[in-house]
Amino acid sequence: MNRFLLPGLLFVAMLAASSSPAWAHKASDAFIYLDLDQSTVRVDLALRDLALEVPLDRNADRRVSGAELRAARGEITRYLEEGLLLANHSGSCALQGEQWGLSTHSDGPYAAALYQVSCPNGQVPESITYTLLFDRDPLHRGLVSLTYEGQETLAVIGPDDPTLALAATSFGSGRLFGTFLYEGVVHLLIGLDHILFLLVLMLPATIRRRETTGTRHTSVHAGLRPRLLELVGIVTAFTVAHSITLGLSALGVVRLPIAWVETIIALSVALAALNVIWPILGRKTWKLAFGFGLIHGFGFASVLGDLTTGVSQMAVALAGFNLGVELGQVALVLVVFPLLYLAARSRFYERAAVPAMLVAVGALSLYWVVERIAEI
Amino acid sequence: MIKTTNRRLTTCSDRGLLRYQRAGKGALVALAPALKGGAFLAILTGMAAFGSAAWAAPADIRTDFGDTDILVTLPQPALTQAPLPDNAAELADTIQQQILQARRDGDPRYLGYASGLLSQWPEDRLTDRLRVLRATVRQSLHQFDEARADLQTVITTANDPTQKRQAQLTLANLELVQGRYEQAAAQCQALIESSPGLVAHSCQAQVQGRTGQPQAAYQQLLDRTRAEQRHNSSARLWAEGTLADLAAQLGDARARDHWRFILSQHPDDLYTRARLADWFLDNDQPENTLSLTEGYEHVDSLAVIQTIAMLQTNHPQANAMITRLKERFSEARWRGSLLHERDLARFQLDVEGQPQQALSHALANWQDQREPEDTRLVLRASVAAGEDEPANTVRNWLNQHRQTDSRFPETDS
Repeated sequence: MNRFLLPGLLFVAMLAASSSPAWAHKASDAFIYLDLDQSTVRVDLALRDLALEVPLDRNADRRVSGAELRAARGEITRYLEEGLLLANHSGSCALQGEQWGLSTHSDGPYAAALYQVSCPNGQVPESITYTLLFDRDPLHRGLVSLTYEGQETLAVIGPDDPTLALAATSFGSGRLFGTFLYEGVVHLLIGLDHILFLLVLMLPATIRRRETTGTRHTSVHAGLRPRLLELVGIVTAFTVAHSITLGLSALGVVRLPIAWVETIIALSVALAALNVIWPILGRKTWKLAFGFGLIHGFGFASVLGDLTTGVSQMAVALAGFNLGVELGQVALVLVVFPLLYLAARSRFYERAAVPAMLVAVGALSLYWVVERIAEI
Repeated sequence: MIKTTNRRLTTCSDRGLLRYQRAGKGALVALAPALKGGAFLAILTGMAAFGSAAWAAPADIRTDFGDTDILVTLPQPALTQAPLPDNAAELADTIQQQILQARRDGDPRYLGYASGLLSQWPEDRLTDRLRVLRATVRQSLHQFDEARADLQTVITTANDPTQKRQAQLTLANLELVQGRYEQAAAQCQALIESSPGLVAHSCQAQVQGRTGQPQAAYQQLLDRTRAEQRHNSSARLWAEGTLADLAAQLGDARARDHWRFILSQHPDDLYTRARLADWFLDNDQPENTLSLTEGYEHVDSLAVIQTIAMLQTNHPQANAMITRLKERFSEARWRGSLLHERDLARFQLDVEGQPQQALSHALANWQDQREPEDTRLVLRASVAAGEDEPANTVRNWLNQHRQTDSRFPETDS
């Protein structure tokens, strides 16, 4: 029986215990402190665990001296860096060594290395991958402490899933808001149907309008100010309307089938285009913007719903996303309206460019209508 | 109402594996319970996120260590860096060593290395012996269902009768720990039929003790042990451990003598050490607890018992120990696997005075492990927290099995 045969081993074990009687015996853990406020990451790995993978004990006396640890510094940090990857959607983050030395946890001495983190585009890391020691010891874990905006969140990385998404759910509400703000902007700018709808709504305000009085046609050069007011009215109406339905839908008060919503959104673009030429829905563009804005809100809500699975702070996400949509919208208007306004000086603008745009937009949106109906 | 806050309970419930080996003319002998201690905590896989906490503040990074300072003493590489051997027998030898080392030292890292080797070994090349060893590792990691499945596979398909009996004994122990006494009794009965002896009868006595007949079980096993004590000492040790458990359950001071006998043969039996140290606490002899636990602070169960004894004796090191244990348990909770959930509950109840938290951990532990120490902790925490419901659940379960224990508070209410 083996337990009787190992007095030597037992002796060594007792020696180890008596040299530092306070050290606990526990399963193997690496400690990873990721501080997004300081853009630093620190990794602590037990000397005992490190010695399994990096030749620390050069004289093979089963003891690691201070000199042996110093001599292995390069290998230790290389090993740590190989097992730790921080990344965001643009790529991997660079780690710049800042500090190195010895640390302690409840089970004894650890090697510790602190790094400055630089991610692509100067943004924060979005994921952390940790892979050390899992092959040798499946009970090994990476214990992650994530600090963001002064708040600390703890997580654990194990061999089954070595990548931890630093998702919006892991962050404080500030980060969550920022994430959804960004998503809101992106969704508006890549959502061609919303952009075209806005464009079509803008067009009447860019045209040097002919006022029809009786039989006499008078060309009136309206000033910039009333046009801007009209534009602000349109954008505001669209914003208020889609905010209402986005909120109602995101909070689960009203739910509409998304296939129908998308079809009606496409139809709204076609109708808005038609309305510029034949104002069947009236000349008050802001009313049109409001009415169809309601349905666009349900479209935004569907995107938001896909993004918020598992997000507990729904109100924060909603606020961020909605504000993001508005910012995207304002950015679009600020760029496009001046261009159209300048273009309107040309006489070809109203006669050729506007009809061409309307026909193109109308055709494209009708195509969407057909396509989306086919999918229902 | 009985005042219960001064009552103590023992700590580790995972009885060690018994190992049958061929001895002499092929007779089966049971090897003594390798350290019965070492209830290592269940490992949660995947990630667990916690709310923000101040647990994680790291120690400073120091560079002021001297070149000649010995920073750490490394364990034997043969067990920590063992390469995967090509034959099953060699692998089994290594894993058996790792399990023993884990128990002897109270060090769960060896279970990690054993798991690592086993996970690299092809499933279709698992021998019966490897499967029994894998079950033992899994049981130690509180993967009870997986352990049970391995053992049942061996019991139903094994060609090797030694491994079949080893599997039956391990399964009996697992069922006993989980409070599934009918299933445990069935395995013990099978053992008595296939290889009668002190070990099989100890198995049966354990079940009888937990199901209403502790006095008879104790007396019969004692008689049998006296009659057979000339035989191999491993079986004797196993019987002594069982007798100690039964005596403690009966409130009989002979428990101490049985445990002392085991420790005199095997001072590295952490389970027995913890039980005896706890018995001293129960019997108002904290000085004995201190001397018995000195030098074993690296083992959670013994460290918690020692700390309680330190508080009772106004020991100057008490606060330092409490600080260390807090760090340990906070790291364990961050990890999420709560290795020694019972030890944590005990610490919260008897050291930190947080009966609510203690109750919640004691109950979580009780879902997996229902040895008297686990049950007692739920009852005590429940009383201390002023919550009747958990205590009633436990009492109903005890009544159902006719289990009585002199150490349980208010069991007859």
